[in-house]
Amino acid sequence: MKKNEFVNQLAEYCEFETPELTLDTPLKSIAGFDSLAIMSIIAFIDENFNMKLTALQLQKITDFNSIILLIGEDKFEND
Amino acid sequence: MINLTGKRILITGASSGIGKAISQLSASLGASLILLGRNIERLEETFYSLQGDGHEYYSVDVTDYLKTDEIIRSTVRSNGVLSGFVHSAGIEKTLPFKASTPKLFKEVFETNVFAGFEIARIISQKGIINTNGASYIFISSVKGKLGDIGNVIYCSSKSALLSGTKAMALELAPKKIRCNCVLPGIVRTEMVERLFNSIPTESMNNVISKHPLGLGKPEDVAALVCFLLSDQAKWITGSEYIIDGGYSAR
Repeated sequence: MKKNEFVNQLAEYCEFETPELTLDTPLKSIAGFDSLAIMSIIAFIDENFNMKLTALQLQKITDFNSIILLIGEDKFEND
Repeated sequence: MINLTGKRILITGASSGIGKAISQLSASLGASLILLGRNIERLEETFYSLQGDGHEYYSVDVTDYLKTDEIIRSTVRSNGVLSGFVHSAGIEKTLPFKASTPKLFKEVFETNVFAGFEIARIISQKGIINTNGASYIFISSVKGKLGDIGNVIYCSSKSALLSGTKAMALELAPKKIRCNCVLPGIVRTEMVERLFNSIPTESMNNVISKHPLGLGKPEDVAALVCFLLSDQAKWITGSEYIIDGGYSAR
């Protein structure tokens, strides 16, 4: 998966309504970013990367880039 | 004083948490136990902590119905009929409803519901259960009565356990088998400690604050279960007992 595809697919999965999300968009600025969204991010990463992250690990995320760093950049194709 | 002397009781999920506490208390009240659990090391730890004698333990996945059936028949042939059954084995999954696929539902229901009812079905047969009377306790959850975000699968499995127990109570009453459900709130078990270690402190404190008497201990639930296993509860069947430190009183 490419990083930009990741942003779009994750945003669709979490049903974020903020348009034009980028890798650097602060998550706290996104409408609908709440505890259920954190749960959804965990489920999305488990489904797509077979990784079980915890809410505690996700406490540190600030934008999509920081989620990618948690997953590991090597899991992504070059854009 | 509750007395379980002379009762042979089968307990699933005996290797940890509530199941372990029920095992320890019921043994100290005179019962002889057949412990079932997946993790052999932790199961042995429970076994060696028990007072009294005549206890047995078997490392088994309770969803392996053929193996469980063999174990039950073999122990009854060797050591006599059963007077009690506690289904404490259970798994929890927290995930959004959108990720709650039939595969995951099946996985949780297999352990939380199907295994408990299948063991109850096996032991209710002639020659396995004590014809003078028996007591089955299913460990549900207060979440079997209340909703919770991210817990559609878990809540529905615990609710299924609750309604199935009531129907079973009606059907097995002529055999003098009593069936009841215990619905704990959040109890400080290894499973809950793991959960608390995976969420921010703020979320953990929020959970704790919803329990007016604080979180429970496994022994709190064990005391209620042992009462229901005893002959002092002989007129109680098809009932549900919430034990949650006031969580559901709001």
